Amino acid sequence: MLNKRQKNQRFVSYTFLEKKRKAQVSEIMTWVVATIIILSILLIFVYASSLLAQKTKIIKAKDLKIDIGKEVDLLETKNLIAFDLASENEEKIIKNWEEENE
Amino acid sequence: MINKKGGGKLMAMYWFVILMIVAGGIFAMVYSFYQHPYDVRELEAEMMINQIADCLSSKGELNLELFNEEGFSEEFPENFLENCHLNFEVEEVWEGEPQYYFRIDFYNAINLENSVFEISKGNSNLVADWNIQEEKEYKRTAKGVEDSFFSFNGEDMYLIKILTIIKKTEKNVK
Repeated sequence: MLNKRQKNQRFVSYTFLEKKRKAQVSEIMTWVVATIIILSILLIFVYASSLLAQKTKIIKAKDLKIDIGKEVDLLETKNLIAFDLASENEEKIIKNWEEENE
Repeated sequence: MINKKGGGKLMAMYWFVILMIVAGGIFAMVYSFYQHPYDVRELEAEMMINQIADCLSSKGELNLELFNEEGFSEEFPENFLENCHLNFEVEEVWEGEPQYYFRIDFYNAINLENSVFEISKGNSNLVADWNIQEEKEYKRTAKGVEDSFFSFNGEDMYLIKILTIIKKTEKNVK
């Protein structure tokens, strides 16, 4: 049979342990959540970089701009020269063809 | 006191593991980005078109070697690659299977429907490979570019349509 003092001691130690366990669980949970967030952000970035690699690594000449700051299309230049040399009828042919191909 | 020291060590271990995971993640990001090669086939095809166009026409006039007294000459197309400084040689990976194709169609400006002369070189099987992509673009099929321009032969005006196709999938797509 426990006396009053012993009972009180038991009660005090029990509540202390309970509080300590709760504190430990909440601290562990914080780090578990932090770890999950870190890993998920990492996975998102890895996935995004692989997607980016697939999409942005297709290079076309029209995407490139030369130092003068304008897109230069060689065949367009040739068409302009031809247009300069063309007679009125030929100019019409070039215009019609360009309109059809726009 | 002992517990505090133990907790500190545990946290250090945890941070070390997290550091390793983050480092691994960064490595994975860089690796996944750089393991994909640049797909320059369309750029290469456009460069080939420019090279051919420059060879065929200068200052609005068609190359005189294209013609003889009767009309279009058959000699120029025979040595077209040498005449236009084109090199279709490829690495050993594709030896025996040409990776390039081009076709040039000449149309008289009076009739833009029917071609009057044609020059083509390379692997003609690539045309079918390229045609598949009319509705949807596929990564592993051959890439092609088609462009055209007008030029003169004396008084006649011609429309020159150039189609270039390049396969080289292994080096451009992963």
